[in-house]
Amino acid sequence: MSSVNQAKVNPEHKHKTPTVKLTIDGRVVAAKKGQTVLDCAGENGILIPHLCSHPVLPPFGACRLCLVEIEGMRGYPTSCSTPAEEGMVVRTGTEALKNLQRNILSLIILEHPGACLLCEKRQICDEFRPDAEKAGSATGCHSCGSRDSCEVRRLAENLGIKELPVAPVYLNRPIEKTHPFIDHDPNLCILCGRCVRICKHQHKTSVIDFTDRSSRTRIGRAFDCSLIEAGCTFCGSCVDVCPTGALAERYAKWQPAPDKSVKSTCTFCDWACELEFGIKQDKLICTKSANENIPVCALGKFALAEFLNGSGRLHSCYVRTDGILRETDWQEALAAVKDRLWNYRGDKFAFICDSTGTLEDRFIFRKFTRDVMQSPNYIELEGADQAFKRAAVPAGVKAAFISGGCIEADSLSKLEVLIIQDCYPSEASGRADVVLPVRVLAETEGTIKDRFGRHRPLLKACEPPKAAGSEWMIICRLAKTFGAEGFNYEFVADITKQLNPPPAPPEIQTGQTPGPAQDLKQMRTHFRGHRIDGHVGGLRELNAGPEPAPVSMPAQTKGTFEILDNRRLVPNTHEIVIRAPQVASKAQPGQFVIVMVDEKSERVPYTLCDWNIQTGTITIVVQEKGLSSRKLILCKPGSKLAHVIGPLGVPLEIKKYGTVALAAGCYGIAAIIPVARALKNAGNTVLAVTEARTGYLLYYGDRLRELSDEHVQAAIDGSLSPRGHAVDVIAGRLKSGEKIDCVIAIGCPFMMMLTARETKPYGVKTLAALNPIMLDGTGMCGACRLTVDGKMKFACVDGPFFDAHLIDWDELKDRRRAYSAEEIHSLAATAPAERSHTCARPINR
Amino acid sequence: MTVSAQQNNAVVAELLSLHGKDRSHLITVLQDIQQHFGYLPRQAVTQLAQRTGISANEIYGVATFYAQFRFIPPGEHIIQVCQGTACHVRGSWQLLQELQQRLGIKPGQTTADGRFDLRRVACIGCCALAPVVTVDGNVHARMTPKEIALLVKQHSGKKDR
Ligand code: SF4
Ligand code: SF4
Ligand code: SF4
Ligand code: FES
Ligand code: FES
Repeated sequence: MSSVNQAKVNPEHKHKTPTVKLTIDGRVVAAKKGQTVLDCAGENGILIPHLCSHPVLPPFGACRLCLVEIEGMRGYPTSCSTPAEEGMVVRTGTEALKNLQRNILSLIILEHPGACLLCEKRQICDEFRPDAEKAGSATGCHSCGSRDSCEVRRLAENLGIKELPVAPVYLNRPIEKTHPFIDHDPNLCILCGRCVRICKHQHKTSVIDFTDRSSRTRIGRAFDCSLIEAGCTFCGSCVDVCPTGALAERYAKWQPAPDKSVKSTCTFCDWACELEFGIKQDKLICTKSANENIPVCALGKFALAEFLNGSGRLHSCYVRTDGILRETDWQEALAAVKDRLWNYRGDKFAFICDSTGTLEDRFIFRKFTRDVMQSPNYIELEGADQAFKRAAVPAGVKAAFISGGCIEADSLSKLEVLIIQDCYPSEASGRADVVLPVRVLAETEGTIKDRFGRHRPLLKACEPPKAAGSEWMIICRLAKTFGAEGFNYEFVADITKQLNPPPAPPEIQTGQTPGPAQDLKQMRTHFRGHRIDGHVGGLRELNAGPEPAPVSMPAQTKGTFEILDNRRLVPNTHEIVIRAPQVASKAQPGQFVIVMVDEKSERVPYTLCDWNIQTGTITIVVQEKGLSSRKLILCKPGSKLAHVIGPLGVPLEIKKYGTVALAAGCYGIAAIIPVARALKNAGNTVLAVTEARTGYLLYYGDRLRELSDEHVQAAIDGSLSPRGHAVDVIAGRLKSGEKIDCVIAIGCPFMMMLTARETKPYGVKTLAALNPIMLDGTGMCGACRLTVDGKMKFACVDGPFFDAHLIDWDELKDRRRAYSAEEIHSLAATAPAERSHTCARPINR
Repeated sequence: MTVSAQQNNAVVAELLSLHGKDRSHLITVLQDIQQHFGYLPRQAVTQLAQRTGISANEIYGVATFYAQFRFIPPGEHIIQVCQGTACHVRGSWQLLQELQQRLGIKPGQTTADGRFDLRRVACIGCCALAPVVTVDGNVHARMTPKEIALLVKQHSGKKDR
């Protein structure tokens, strides 16, 4: 979840309420009668830690973090449930309180994958990973989509939690990924109850509630039914108030955190809900209701960002020449429109639009039809709530300009000239003579009329794709191309001035009458003639009904490479054994294979973690990241993979180095198995050090103890001793004068960068295994480019092993973000993205 | 035992008319529904939600908070393993383990085929016979893991109740 605003907005109090005076931390402050000490302190800039309390919800008193000292009161009252009173003397943040709060928060983190909060290298880690990394299940802040909005994380930072009393546990609860739009990971839940309470507050019923008791308590639904069956309207308010990543937006959670928020209006339907948009570099990332007391519908909450950012958007002009639509620029396109329409002036022409555009747009459409085309045929479809209508062209009309795609198929064939301006291609645009790209929804500005007749300002919140223009501006330019006068509008406000003011509308609060936000059946299905669910995966699931098909792989039988075993080693990590005799017979330590689950799926590289020539099997360890790895870990034993290509990559040079220290993390723990074995056989002394954020993420301990001379397991959060990263152990040895001749690091790029940095002062040869998969998380073509010693290399052919001291780590850090947007989009769609691609460099050498 | 929708509606309606639709009587009504069916059928909870206006999710939340409610029909045979001190020192935990493994369930659960309920109980007052297992109330004394296997087999046959 990328929550839009971090600061809490206090409701405006219009009427003067009696006030009381009290002292907080030595300052005399005023509080409204009945206001809680927490709220009053917050209003005065004194921040008291809190988790379960929320400005629009009644006090709950569950987390007990908001403790304060109040003179004359025994113990430490919770400030979220204590009303401010005249003469009260309150102290916050004393050492005693901070200690208590630290203890309480530690207990929360014990059951929450929060090891990153205790990491001593947190700062450089944050710098190296500007955004959280995609993962099937969060095992720490850096694989949690809510990293940047998480309140637990912020509190832990403010309070300075340094260690946990005992080792943390993973709750191991099934993660729900089959609901439309919403991912629910109960392993991240801190049971603050905000979600349950906001749902009840906004909908007057419980779609979700606390179920079960004691240590099994969780947020659930009756008989574990789906959210759809439980009556959810997918307003997303529970996601917005969740302080952790337990409830998160499938689409927005892997987007970078917004850097600003803009309040504007939703124009999917005429309820015109007020929304707050989260914007990052002029791109719309997420939305939420601007009023925390009123929910919006799934279109406003979830569909808007996905719709606007859809990869199918029209982003340039097209003109039909020789029967084919060819891309061109505005000038040529507008000239072409004039050319084709010129002879159709008069009642042979019709302009067709629906009522979702701004009043300014429609004012210009009408003016253009009347003054320039001299036609009476201006057709504006009324936006009926559900029933979707398409326009038929009046008899005699031979040329049409359509804003949108809302025209009857039959009419199309009657037209001699068709001009379309739209946001997505449609059946009509496919037959048009000219197609112009337009801005829609949050990309536009002007005035809209809501269902109650009120005029409401629409502020532009984000940038459109490439060339897309404002509809009024396009038509004004077109009018000038025709040589028409009276279209000299520079800003939308110039048109606004000419609109008729609306009759005084009744004062109605949006949300009072149940609208789409309370009743799914009222939700719009079409926009500008397009099915909205054609561009928004979650809506397809929603429309498909209660049992949405999970992204699971039916046991495939078509491929050649059978999966013999698939088991979860630790959260988010699976060990998969595949029958691939050809690969097994040639495999060398350090090499990798490229796996394609089916013919259409991505080619993803995985390091060979083990193989057996006799049985003809190979073992890979897969971390769930994006869609491709998810498909792979969902494959049951017995199913067959389309392709396993390999072994690839330059094997590690196996010779006698002397003492070799292996540093391994995440998938690397498995990847060092063949390396350790080969090095040992070549007569080296092998020290194998594995690291994980916390103890329960370590695996293969027994195997490594057997294969190496010494095996050390380090936990970053101190749940095991030694505490820290693998390289801390190795650097410690080097510091104490122990002789190490070579260090080999296999793990995430951050861990390998760290290893390189720490071993450099000692001048010990250090190799890092840069697998293409590690570079961009998907192994997409060209993404495995890197610079080593000033020269360009490709991990898929020159790698995986490079001299870690010569790698340009800064460049790698920046490159890793390049491909993510499309991946995120494919995750949001239920149906596996059907994309294929080839690596930039030949891989079969 | 499967419960027909009609049966459901009738029972829920009757119980509600008896106790009233008020939220404060929810537990009592739930107890009576369980008394009647032996568990809380999903349809009954849905019915209850429809008739009271309390959401099914909330009712489920309330019901799961109490150990006394169950949501699947009780097993045909109820096996109880005594965990009292005497039985414990004589290795009743081994018996429990054996049973868990054989039945594939934990104490408090019912086998997927609806045949067995496994429960642990505190001392049942036959310490002299420790370790003790009861099946449908019949006491089996000085049990061993081997005899457990036999016991399970005996009760696994065709319906014999
Ligand atoms: S999305 Fe809205 S209706 Fe659904 S559970 Fe969350 S708050 Fe309730
Ligand atoms: S899901 Fe989120 S809001 Fe709901 S109880 Fe858990 S942490 Fe709190
Ligand atoms: S009801 Fe939904 S579609 Fe209509 S304005 Fe509100 S959020 Fe947008
Ligand atoms: S914020 Fe006060 S108890 Fe949670
Ligand atoms: S540095 Fe904290 S887990 Fe990576």
